[in-house]
Amino acid sequence: MTSTTAAPAVTTTRNRVGRALETAARGHRSIPVLVVLAIIWAVFYSQSAAYLSFQNITNLTLQIVTTAILALGVVFVLLVGEIDLSAAVLSGVCAAVAAGLVVNSGLPLAVGIAAALVTGMVVTFVEAQLIMFGVPSLIVTLGGMVILQGLILVVLPPEFTVSVAGTSFAKIASTAVPAGTSYALAAAGTIAYAAYRLFQHRERVSTGSLTSLAAVVVPSAIVAAVLFGGVFTLTRQRGFPMPLLILAAMLLVAWYATTQTRYGIHLYAVGGDREAAQRAGIPVRRMVLYSFLILGACAAVAGMVDASRQLGVSVTSGGGPLMLNAIAAAVVGGTSLFGGRGSIWSAILGALVIGSISNGVQLLGLSTEVQYFATGSVLIVAVAVDVVLTRGSLLPGRR
Amino acid sequence: MTPLLQLTKVSKHFGGVRALHEVDLSVDAGEVVALVGDNGAGKSTLVKIVSGVESPDTGEIRVRGEAARLESPRAAAEAGIRTVFQDLSLCDNLDAVQNLFLGQERYGPVWSGRRVRRHVMEEQAQRVLESLSVKLRALNTPVVALSGGQRQGIAIGRALISDPAVVLLDEPTAALGVSQRGEVLDLIQRLREQGRGVLVISHDMKDVRQVADRVVVLRLGAKVAEFRRGGYTPADLVSAMTGAHEPTDGEGGDL
Repeated sequence: MTSTTAAPAVTTTRNRVGRALETAARGHRSIPVLVVLAIIWAVFYSQSAAYLSFQNITNLTLQIVTTAILALGVVFVLLVGEIDLSAAVLSGVCAAVAAGLVVNSGLPLAVGIAAALVTGMVVTFVEAQLIMFGVPSLIVTLGGMVILQGLILVVLPPEFTVSVAGTSFAKIASTAVPAGTSYALAAAGTIAYAAYRLFQHRERVSTGSLTSLAAVVVPSAIVAAVLFGGVFTLTRQRGFPMPLLILAAMLLVAWYATTQTRYGIHLYAVGGDREAAQRAGIPVRRMVLYSFLILGACAAVAGMVDASRQLGVSVTSGGGPLMLNAIAAAVVGGTSLFGGRGSIWSAILGALVIGSISNGVQLLGLSTEVQYFATGSVLIVAVAVDVVLTRGSLLPGRR
Repeated sequence: MTPLLQLTKVSKHFGGVRALHEVDLSVDAGEVVALVGDNGAGKSTLVKIVSGVESPDTGEIRVRGEAARLESPRAAAEAGIRTVFQDLSLCDNLDAVQNLFLGQERYGPVWSGRRVRRHVMEEQAQRVLESLSVKLRALNTPVVALSGGQRQGIAIGRALISDPAVVLLDEPTAALGVSQRGEVLDLIQRLREQGRGVLVISHDMKDVRQVADRVVVLRLGAKVAEFRRGGYTPADLVSAMTGAHEPTDGEGGDL
């Protein structure tokens, strides 16, 4: 056994580099995805300079918003070692409920939003009860998907479509936050983040833990670069799009809950080893239920944002490749299908990878099959990379 | 001196099967008591009763001289008894600190979303691991990357977070190599030096001889012998366990 102590005085430089690499591979599983993303962007940019124009980047981010919001909910369910196939259709049902109330019944937008959230959470609540009863989540949600496809026909009016054009509902997607306000928000976000890091640094100093000011400055600089870069890029046209602000707010809350709170530790513990979590006194069933409720809420938000962008709800809402794209996004982003590994960033990064491919294919006017081939290959390669990282070896595993 | 843990005439039946019959057992402060027995002797049932997983049918359990009802693992923990299970019950994907405090995290107020006070936990983890002489390269390494001895150290450290009077170890050396076994036996010595009562379940006679102040032998659900350190040979233990040759009056040691 290695008998290196935790004391920093004895650590050699080589040791420190090795440890830094180890920590990077472990704690920043996003890095392989970022590399893949950079490659995809470089390839398409070399074919067409318009690919990385401000306009196309704005389009791209708006195209992936629905997938990313749904993928965020899927990450929570994957983290506890379950899966959900019904969330995309559920998002269509929630959108139909909201649009029906707001457009057809003339109720305020807030009522519609609340009804959609309640619908999403009630459906996933029932699903979670069945899963805890012992039916595998794959089956419960596969059956749920089919039932919800029927339910959307019930919820929609006889003509099977609701147009939201020109209503308050459409404003969800069409609102743009002015550039000035957006920069102010970016500045406030950067300052709040830096202050939080500094607060943590002070806490650690007070107990004599290992820490350095670099732990405050470096992440804060990265956050500032991402926020200001994002605002600069996305306000080129007509202000910061509201759907992206919603996604950003959801990611912020999810980041805090999963990494800074007791809930987050318990979430990963349940996904890592249910038996051990149970013995440690963690309410395993409640944690699984929470994950499904979060997915229900995410599905409702995704459905409403999508309906608002498409200016309507129809029987095809939440259909098509949305569900598989959301699951693929979570997995490509580095969340394990087996629970306990991954982060909420995988939702946005994976959705970006998948969206970048389809956007590029359409921009270059390539045929649709190229998009399918590329997306499928990236999914398999991403999981293969994940397997290698988890096992720590390139040798084939035993089956 | 009042024993830290005292079981009096504890019996447990599963249907018609007698798992334990009027077993007396006591553990003093700073004492390591080993519980040995063949398969089906009632060791696991006794572990479950002391750790709060099962309740006895009859009999009395006293912790620090006070009658205790160990109805759940949580109740047992609150009474001052912590159990280190044979499979360690660690979450491989969590790091050392998260595992040490799993289920007993130090967290902030509700308005902060029960924010984990990581710095407090790290400092306390450092102290507990030091008290056990467990050396880790970094506290934020997932425990899957640690050696068997280090994992055992973290499992025992987790038991110590709530400063229990009695620590129950179920087969602590079962899956370990030679050097790691030595490490774990050292850990047990440290628990004794800290003045805790230690109850070790083991089937390894060498470990038992090395670490136990007292050995209690179970056979077919009943206590058949009790030996003090140095007062027995390996053959005595084996014959008590198998019943091949009953020691005088079923009691080998001086009670």
